[in-house]
Amino acid sequence: MNPKIQKIKDIVEVLESRIGDFKPEIGIVLGSGLGSLADSIESPVVVPYKDLPGFPVSTAVGHKGNFIAGTLSGKRVLAMQGRIHFYEGYGMDMVVLPIRVMLMAGIKYLFVSNAAGGTNLGFHVGDLMIIKDHINLLPNPLIGPNIDEIGPRFPDMTRPYDPALIRLAESLADEMGIKLQKGVYVGGTGPSYETPAEYKYFRHIGGDAVGMSTIPEVIVARHAGVPVFGMSVITNEAHDDYAEDYVNDGQDVVEAANAAAAKMTALIGRMIEKL
Amino acid sequence: MKEKLQDRKPVAGIILGSGLGKLADEIENPLVIPYGEIPGFPVSTAIGHKGNFIVGLLSGKMVIAMQGRIHFYEGYGMSMATMPVRVMVLLGIKHLFVSNAAGGTNLDYHVGDLMIIRDHINLLPNPLIGPNLDEFGPRFPDMTRPYDPALIRMAEEIAAQKGIVLQKGVYVAISGPSYETPAEYRYFRSIGADAVGMSTTPEVIVARHSSIPVFGMSVITDVAHATDDEDYVTDGEAIVKAADAAADKMTTLIKEMLVRL
Repeated sequence: MNPKIQKIKDIVEVLESRIGDFKPEIGIVLGSGLGSLADSIESPVVVPYKDLPGFPVSTAVGHKGNFIAGTLSGKRVLAMQGRIHFYEGYGMDMVVLPIRVMLMAGIKYLFVSNAAGGTNLGFHVGDLMIIKDHINLLPNPLIGPNIDEIGPRFPDMTRPYDPALIRLAESLADEMGIKLQKGVYVGGTGPSYETPAEYKYFRHIGGDAVGMSTIPEVIVARHAGVPVFGMSVITNEAHDDYAEDYVNDGQDVVEAANAAAAKMTALIGRMIEKL
Repeated sequence: MKEKLQDRKPVAGIILGSGLGKLADEIENPLVIPYGEIPGFPVSTAIGHKGNFIVGLLSGKMVIAMQGRIHFYEGYGMSMATMPVRVMVLLGIKHLFVSNAAGGTNLDYHVGDLMIIRDHINLLPNPLIGPNLDEFGPRFPDMTRPYDPALIRMAEEIAAQKGIVLQKGVYVAISGPSYETPAEYRYFRSIGADAVGMSTTPEVIVARHSSIPVFGMSVITDVAHATDDEDYVTDGEAIVKAADAAADKMTTLIKEMLVRL
């Protein structure tokens, strides 16, 4: 057997030994500060990453490192509380390993969320953005021998984010009175934040928001043909001119993400109910 | 390094890129430390004939200058390429001056122009990827002001007094070592870059990680607009002449900035 598949199988086996006869229907990746969605999961079983063989431990500010299996809106979900980031120094195989575990565990949909800087000048801190498309400036996670058991050598990326899920989110947000932005997410490596010139560059090439994650996970899910819904919380605004006393720090980002989390939690809860 | 430096406490670090090499000759009472004598540094043969730290007085200030930088295109990892900056940070520098030779993507630039780097676009791997070194700075360092606004104002003021004409623009860093194609030049111009080169941004990111104010300057040694012509050839001699003249101006400028620090 492909050693990569064997490794994933070994992890899924340990995971299943902990969560029992639980077939997750939906995978959720909880981004920076959005961990509160985890609190809405009923009868949760928490499996720390460190209990899984060959699993890295997440080190980012505001990130925990757990799988949480349980029920959300009546559906069986498997949530990642804390993702693995490329900037932590892990190779791409490691960054996407949790997604491959969720895929092998049988998820039929993947929901991804993140905190992102708004490159679109119309965006404000605390906005929620449906990711309609992305521009990947990170290394591609599928580089290397193809894992034929998961998907094709050259996976299509025409619809990285599922149009039907986007329509569902828009109609529910409308009903719930939640205002949404919709845009293109640019993924860079970080970990230093963007310079003003880089913000302008990302805006120029069509990016509405920029962050340091998500895309590798989406590519790997699409490799397996799993429909993806993605959402960014805008935690930073681009300016054409920065005031001399402007500051940008990780703590502000975490707080802005927390403030928007309630709206996103409600929306994703309703979406999952409708699936 | 501290053993060798003894009571010399450098207050400013200077990275002598192509063009600023002459500044090294003006450092008084210089203590030269070849990279080869520093544990863990790449051997000097691998990075060309120049590979020294020079510590001494310049404009009455104790400076540590890097004569020869370590480039990513030589095959070194980013932690090696930025290690000299980490060393200078630990030696206590309060300011970092960086210089380089760059290609002008801005159509108004000419060979021999001096450009204040006011911002950058980093298309090289980020040197901070990996576990964060908390001793140096935060996990997610801000890059709102990669180049210090006060130092930029000071340079502009001095240049005006001395009749030195300066450009001010955005530097885009790529890996090299092949030079840019005409299409790449257009691409860099379209994303907002005024000059392109193969260094500097990793050093700046690492210095800013530790909140060290940075001043950066490029000597424009090549320009974009001619490269589309069928009969275009790089006139090496003219470039060297123009770059030399520009280097003299840059040396004057940086020495005066040091006086005022």
